[in-house]
Amino acid sequence: MFVSPTSQQGDGGPVRRRAGESLALLAERTRPVSSSQTRLLPVLPPLVGLFPDGSLRRGSTIVVSGLALPGSPDGSGGGISVALALLAAASGAGSWCALVGLPGLGAVAAHDIGVDLARLAVVPRPGAAWAEVAATLIDGVDLVVLCPPFAPRPAMARRLVARTRERLAVLVVVPGRSGWPEHPDTHLSVSDMHWDGVGTGDGYLHSRRMTVTATGRRSAARPRHHHLWMPSTTGSVADAPGDVAEQAVTGPMARA
Amino acid sequence: MNRLLVVRCPDLLDEDEDGAALRLFVTVIGTVESYCPWVTTVRPGICSLPARGPSRYFGGEGPLARSVADAVSDITAVEVGVADGLFAADLAARSGQVVPPGGTPGFLAPFPVGILGHPELAELLTRLGIRTLGDFAALPESHVLGRFGADGVTCHRVAGGRSGDLSHPGHPAAGRRIDEQSSRARGDRAVVGESGFWGGVSDADVRAGRALAAVQDLIGADGVVTARLQGGRGPAQRARFVTWNARENHVDPTLVAPWPGQIPSPAPTVVHPAPIPAELADADGQPVSVSGRGLLTAGPHRLSVEKGPWAVVTAWAGPWPSEERWWSRSRRRGARMQAVTGGEAHLLLVERGRWWVEATYG
Repeated sequence: MFVSPTSQQGDGGPVRRRAGESLALLAERTRPVSSSQTRLLPVLPPLVGLFPDGSLRRGSTIVVSGLALPGSPDGSGGGISVALALLAAASGAGSWCALVGLPGLGAVAAHDIGVDLARLAVVPRPGAAWAEVAATLIDGVDLVVLCPPFAPRPAMARRLVARTRERLAVLVVVPGRSGWPEHPDTHLSVSDMHWDGVGTGDGYLHSRRMTVTATGRRSAARPRHHHLWMPSTTGSVADAPGDVAEQAVTGPMARA
Repeated sequence: MNRLLVVRCPDLLDEDEDGAALRLFVTVIGTVESYCPWVTTVRPGICSLPARGPSRYFGGEGPLARSVADAVSDITAVEVGVADGLFAADLAARSGQVVPPGGTPGFLAPFPVGILGHPELAELLTRLGIRTLGDFAALPESHVLGRFGADGVTCHRVAGGRSGDLSHPGHPAAGRRIDEQSSRARGDRAVVGESGFWGGVSDADVRAGRALAAVQDLIGADGVVTARLQGGRGPAQRARFVTWNARENHVDPTLVAPWPGQIPSPAPTVVHPAPIPAELADADGQPVSVSGRGLLTAGPHRLSVEKGPWAVVTAWAGPWPSEERWWSRSRRRGARMQAVTGGEAHLLLVERGRWWVEATYG
């Protein structure tokens, strides 16, 4: 079973990348996806540095904690964006993805980030059965993003983690206010978010700069900081140079 | 229209690996053919025959249906029904009814529009407040043609009992039971026939289809959805969610059309299913509103979402007036605004002096 390189929606916007990157991605996509025999699932090029393997390892669990902001409706500031970005390359390469427990997915944003919506099943309100729903999806889907609607009991979380490992899926948890009692394989936390493009009544939201810090286990325990535009001016993800002077040159200009 | 008798074998609707169900169904067809040679196989597990001729011989449609049901039930579980046209006869079989001649429109009327098996059409109709086949059938055909095109007219004729068949037999909805809890292995069926990549269906597709069908059995078919993009102004109008059904995949042509008043990219990551009430206050704590000329009465300083703690508004853009459905009595006049609180930003909507969080750039 081969995957068509045109499987991603080809309107250019989110997936227009530099030649080298698109070649790498094309190579990734035209490779046979014999599901569980491939140990790694691809990530977007700007996210490669967050993971020790440069991709998502099957069987692993990733927790994404956003910035807890006062008055935020879901308490996952930035976390949803990061989770969607993790789905982008894998869904484009033909992996099935599921999103559980987010009642109002912004589908346009997901598409702009690069998620192939035809490969994404959404369970907006799993209700009390959320853990069972997640477990069932882990059985058949490569990537499951879980926003637990209630605080999970430790035993429940452990079961989901074990099932993910056994089924060689990837579980991405965006705990929000519910929390997640298990220690993940990779922990991504969002900080220093700053929006560009708006002032006092003028402009439009344009792009957001954020820092994502990855902490892993064992050899990957040392935190790795990454500066990203998420969303970038095209709604996708791009590297943001750490240096402020450099940022002034290459960063997107406010539209004013 | 043809009086049709439909024989449904619920246990034989799903093909199994060794073909036993199919072989059993061939036996069923053989049995039914002893009543009438003109048996048509609709899909595995379902066949139909014209009822008029044999019903004269067997003393009416009721006795004919009973006789067929008795004969087939020796082989496998069976449901038999009679109505005008295949679509209605299939539904009649599911509840084991003989719908009298001319009674088909009335029989169809209470069914939800989703039964037509066109999720997109059903979604649109429901949004327009048209929930049942009866409501749909009551629309003038010329309007249906103008609004929904030729496919819509086919569905409209079927809904009104004026045509017997949807153009696509074998659509999942045709095999889906009204009672969703008892659906068996729907995932396999939904995945089989999907065009997939280069015309094939991989193991991964089948596994995913099974898992999703299992979730649908757990929390109801409507609990699993998939997103489709479409043209529209506000973020809520630019996407819609249809019940999971691994078949159709197309891009709405309205996507390409320019939509005046659309807020530029990036799009919000969370579009709240219902706008969340919010309060916006100026530096003195006074509520901020938008004047009749579309200007803010004061610079916004603090935002509280759903009576939560106040968050400082560090930057904002807008307001932009939005007048939607100006042609209708339920028109909405308001304005939209983007407000940044820390690293998070919200799309705010103000209508009649009240603020709402419509979406969040989370």
